[in-house]
Amino acid sequence: MRRLPVYLVLDTSGSMSGEPIEAVKTGLQTLISALRQDPNALESAYLSVIAFDSGARQVVPLTEVAAFQAPDIQASGTTALGAALTLLAASIERDVVKGSAEQRGDWKPLVFLMTDGAPTDNWQRGKEALDRVKIGTLIACAAGPGAKQDILRQLTESVVSLDTADASTIKAFFQWVSASVAVSSRKLDLTKKDIGGLGDLPPPPPQINVAGV
Amino acid sequence: MNDIIELKTWQGDTVAFEDAVIGSGAMKDVCFSPDRSYVIGFFREPQGPAARERLRVICEDYREGIFGQVGGDYWRELFCWPTGVVEHEGRVGVVAPAYAPQFFFEYGSANNDMLGIKGREKEGKWFASANNQARFLDPRERGDWLNYLRICMRIARAVRRMHAAGLAHSDLSYKNVLVDPRSGSACIIDLDGLVVPGKYPPEVVGTPDFIAPEVVMTAHLPHDSPARKLPCIATDRHALAVLIYMYLLYRHPLRGGKVHDPDPSQDETLSMGERALFVEHAHDFSNRIRVADARPSELPWCDTQRMPYTLTGPYLAPLFARAFTDGLRDPRARPSAEDWEFALVRTADLILPCANRGCVQGWFVFDNRRAPSCPFCGTPYPGALPVLNFYSSRHGDSFRPDDQRLMVYTNQSLFEWHVNRHLAPNERLTEAQKVRVGYFVFHQGTWWLVNERLPHCRDLSAGRDIAVGERVALRDGLQLLLSRESGGRLALVQMAGGG
Repeated sequence: MRRLPVYLVLDTSGSMSGEPIEAVKTGLQTLISALRQDPNALESAYLSVIAFDSGARQVVPLTEVAAFQAPDIQASGTTALGAALTLLAASIERDVVKGSAEQRGDWKPLVFLMTDGAPTDNWQRGKEALDRVKIGTLIACAAGPGAKQDILRQLTESVVSLDTADASTIKAFFQWVSASVAVSSRKLDLTKKDIGGLGDLPPPPPQINVAGV
Repeated sequence: MNDIIELKTWQGDTVAFEDAVIGSGAMKDVCFSPDRSYVIGFFREPQGPAARERLRVICEDYREGIFGQVGGDYWRELFCWPTGVVEHEGRVGVVAPAYAPQFFFEYGSANNDMLGIKGREKEGKWFASANNQARFLDPRERGDWLNYLRICMRIARAVRRMHAAGLAHSDLSYKNVLVDPRSGSACIIDLDGLVVPGKYPPEVVGTPDFIAPEVVMTAHLPHDSPARKLPCIATDRHALAVLIYMYLLYRHPLRGGKVHDPDPSQDETLSMGERALFVEHAHDFSNRIRVADARPSELPWCDTQRMPYTLTGPYLAPLFARAFTDGLRDPRARPSAEDWEFALVRTADLILPCANRGCVQGWFVFDNRRAPSCPFCGTPYPGALPVLNFYSSRHGDSFRPDDQRLMVYTNQSLFEWHVNRHLAPNERLTEAQKVRVGYFVFHQGTWWLVNERLPHCRDLSAGRDIAVGERVALRDGLQLLLSRESGGRLALVQMAGGG
């Protein structure tokens, strides 16, 4: 069985407190309920959650959909995006099985990064760490007007944005993430080298803007 | 309360839909009709002239060709065929019947539906994977092996009908076939992507597990390149063989232990394309499934030593061997849907109930041994097992073997298609031909055939007519003439089993 590793890297800084963080928690619940109803995702998708504020923690290790429990997260502190990216790179390096002549490797991971503010640490260092690991697709979501899209665009070509970080837009974002994971778990590349970014995922709902378009 | 919008189809019918999306597929957003008897699926993308024309002929010409003939109603259960095309606010929509109630989960998953799938569609992937079956499904949803045989029979029959009309489905997969293992029914859906070879360019490549090797190998070429292989009837045949293998053995025929490339995408492309290799290849063992790597929930199905494809019996096993050896490289070598339907029907007559009440599969194919046992749970078949070997005369008096047998067990039925070589159980049977003509019963130590509707049944061994309402004891060597009509059969009884 080739696994599809999915990393959700979520900003839990102080600015997310209140409605946004509650919406993220609900979003994770809906995401997992939806994936449990999908026989392809149940078979191959594995999820991990990395939360970052003043530091970064892997709050859920890479776990199969059936066993995944939504974490309890709180919003406080600053926005250590660099630490999050460094931890993401280390987690991928450790968790994702690399293929060899004897062993079937996992699919290259699918990463969803969501942040609502400007990084408060050295994010370039995190990017350097991330550049050394193989990722299938990295989707960055700029949640609300405070997020720095120009920085996110240096991480990936696939940047989407939410005009406001409120309950309904965050909910829509998580629904789209779950549809994207479901599609990726049954329909991985054939014509292309890898999951090619936004174009190969379901179209985002209207609340989610595809940045730069 | 949602707004109800009325439209006229291109075909001139009035239809209506509730203005709320109930589901979104890869290409369409689906809305219910107010009475829930049909749905309209609106394409998100604009449809060009060729696509529009294709939708029109599918709803009109081809629909009429399949459903408009005698026995056409038979296909309503097997196809969710589009009935009309509409246009609304610039979007093209396809009208299609709603799925029958048996295709929605009644119990869903185990432990009081822990996954929350009650009421959702029975997508084939739930059943074609040993892991999903064993870990998640409520046991009441799983169905027995005879019903999986029936499901495969219906799928093969439906594909045979499409192919006879010159149509290729182009994306046959467990996603596009709804199944109900509780009743043995199946229904092909998403028929708006049908391909008419030579007329409309196919747009889909297919679903990864089911794409034919030649399509995988040429998928990187431009769509109009002459070397590019596109979905067609021959690629449907590959998908059909994979589907049948997966529904009967709960594993994929090409996904084994061999790694072709460390890069996952490259490995996928090679193992489904250029270097596709049957996991049960007769001589090349390099792609055998590694049991040590398997998840516990995938056992015993991924153990091809314990559950070899040959347990599917003498009619199906050679077809699997052909489809997954020569057929991988040579599309012309692939068994046709008709070949599969024929083999599945014959196999259903070879099936026996397992004596172990706890056996999940419940039925198995007689393997021609004196003392048969269930390959799934190992339980020996108890008692005597009468087998009817059928013969029929081609010209005049000499009877030749038909390579068809019927296993006898309690309440087994004898039908017209056993009695007459010219009949087969399919859409062409009349209602009268669907009624059983006799049945078998074990009474006071003897197996009996009770004649219900055979006017010319005769025990040739004893030279005695068996009138309707009478019975005859089955014994080794008994010769029974079942019909005197053209194609009428003679049954030679053989006693197998422990006795």
